[in-house]
Amino acid sequence: MIAPAAERHLALERIDVFRWRIPRSTQAGMRVDGLIFADDVLIEPLRGDPCLNQVANVATLPGIIGNSLGMPDLHWGYGFPIGGVAAFAVDEGVISPGGIGFDINCGVRLLRSDLEIADIKRAADQLADALFRAVPSGVGAHTGRRLDRVELDDVLRQGAAWPVAAGHGTADDLLVTEEGGCLDGADPSQLSERARLRGANQLGTLGSGNHFLEVQVVDRLLDPPTAAVLGLHAGQITVMIHCGSRGLGHQVCTDHVAVMDRAVHRYAITIPDRQLACVPLGSPEAHAYLGAMAAAANFAWANRQLITDAVRRTFASVFGPHHALPLVYDVSHNMAKFERHHVDGREVDLCVHRKGATRAFPAGHPGVPDAYREIGQPVLIPGDMGRSSIVGVGLPGAMAETFGSTCHGAGRTMSRHAALRQLRGVNLVDELRRDGIVVRVDRRGLLAEEASVAYKDVEAVVQVAAGAGHVRPVARLRPVVVVKG
Amino acid sequence: MDGTPHQVQGPPRWHGGVAHTADVGVRATAPDPRGLLEEAAAALAELSADVSHAKRLRSEAIEVRADDLAALTFAWLNELVGLADAGGEALVEARVEHLESTPDGWLARGTAGFAVYDADVRPRLQVKAATFHRLKVTREGDGWALEAYLDV
Repeated sequence: MIAPAAERHLALERIDVFRWRIPRSTQAGMRVDGLIFADDVLIEPLRGDPCLNQVANVATLPGIIGNSLGMPDLHWGYGFPIGGVAAFAVDEGVISPGGIGFDINCGVRLLRSDLEIADIKRAADQLADALFRAVPSGVGAHTGRRLDRVELDDVLRQGAAWPVAAGHGTADDLLVTEEGGCLDGADPSQLSERARLRGANQLGTLGSGNHFLEVQVVDRLLDPPTAAVLGLHAGQITVMIHCGSRGLGHQVCTDHVAVMDRAVHRYAITIPDRQLACVPLGSPEAHAYLGAMAAAANFAWANRQLITDAVRRTFASVFGPHHALPLVYDVSHNMAKFERHHVDGREVDLCVHRKGATRAFPAGHPGVPDAYREIGQPVLIPGDMGRSSIVGVGLPGAMAETFGSTCHGAGRTMSRHAALRQLRGVNLVDELRRDGIVVRVDRRGLLAEEASVAYKDVEAVVQVAAGAGHVRPVARLRPVVVVKG
Repeated sequence: MDGTPHQVQGPPRWHGGVAHTADVGVRATAPDPRGLLEEAAAALAELSADVSHAKRLRSEAIEVRADDLAALTFAWLNELVGLADAGGEALVEARVEHLESTPDGWLARGTAGFAVYDADVRPRLQVKAATFHRLKVTREGDGWALEAYLDV
């Protein structure tokens, strides 16, 4: 049943410097409070913003545990807010594809190199051109090779291991990829023919919008000992890749939202926004979606792995074959995961929805790769193409209050149209070049839509996540070469 | 509604954008639901690519069913998004040739034209999907209005 909540200005109760509450008494049907992480600066533009209504709407879903959470990069999405986290009891809770998003397992990975900023500066344009040619990007991007049915099934079941087995990566890559680059339970039979068709020739492509490939320099170490464990040092060149499951994942979400839109009535679930369509965990519809979601997640990991291979080959062609680009970590943004968490003094199994949010497990957690077990899970938080990105590690505070989650990026502050209007007549390619950033983009208008002015300052966002005790910043990365679709 | 003359009264056929922080909203008006779906398709096409100079079109038949008009809009727009992405092409136009309300819900049949990206067809935004978020199809005066948000 759809019972639209009247969208109104929601009052926020201040808890402390970094926390704000939307009390469950605010809106009919809220089962838990909303909890927003923001400081005085970040909270102001959120007042009256629809994203707060979305946090409240998520709080009405059956079986929600703890709080409906808004990370410091919170902004208006569809159904769930972007920067939203919600955990559901496996016995009484629901799964909502809108709580994962259309771009299933959109995520970020970071490669480190043995090159320094001086090596790149001489070859920045050559490298930018070569990367732009090597990694298909933009609307309609494809590789020119269409996977057959058997190959696609293998990708959907094996994830990043599929390209690695074909020589497009190393076993070490898998060790430092969330879930080893393969989510259990993938069921390719739950994908529609349309989803297969959309994905078959898109494996190894960047896509468009906010997806990017950046060559970066480590320009500030915030925690040198931890940076050393991650293999990062000042002046070092890194590569960050941000993309997801392409049209295949988009279609999986579309298909299963439609199924759940019809099923929600059958399960007598009342939702305030139709995009929150959901079904009980354990239902046949949930089983079908989770199998398809895992398959799409695996497609995304294989996609980022193939792009990684293309980047490595490109660096070899520009700088010679002796410059390895080991993977530091690969983290997911849009996913539902079954995890065990401490709630009210006992361990419970939960289905954690992260939509535009990053997992941030602390040191010692078994989900953290062995190489990083003593420092905590690497957290990769991209900013905008004109400023910086942050590498951090998860802290116990995230486990205590956000189900091991934190922000996934800077978060938008204005619409694409508003950014275009504000930057009309500005030559962003030249402006970025003056700042030492070489850009290659499929469509110039995209630069304005994705310009710094359209985003919060990622350092301010991470400062809140750090202040709340969810993440410890380790290094700041500044873009040198940006490739966008 | 198939077989009945097009309603000529009511609001003009129109479409435009609605602001959204991360994604894109569209609004359309038309004298009847058939025109509304066509206007929504036109808005989607304009957002996705500059197709004003598109020459060669590939045509594809479309059929979508749904329980209500909002869900039909969701299905219609996502069918167009999916076909364009699967073909690596730009949506240029879509026509509704048959629209009917049955005891089981709504049915729309039509055709859509797609063009290959080239010098005459330049991409704009990658639309991932149409969403149900704030999706509204309502009677407005003596015509119809639609608001939909697209994930980009």
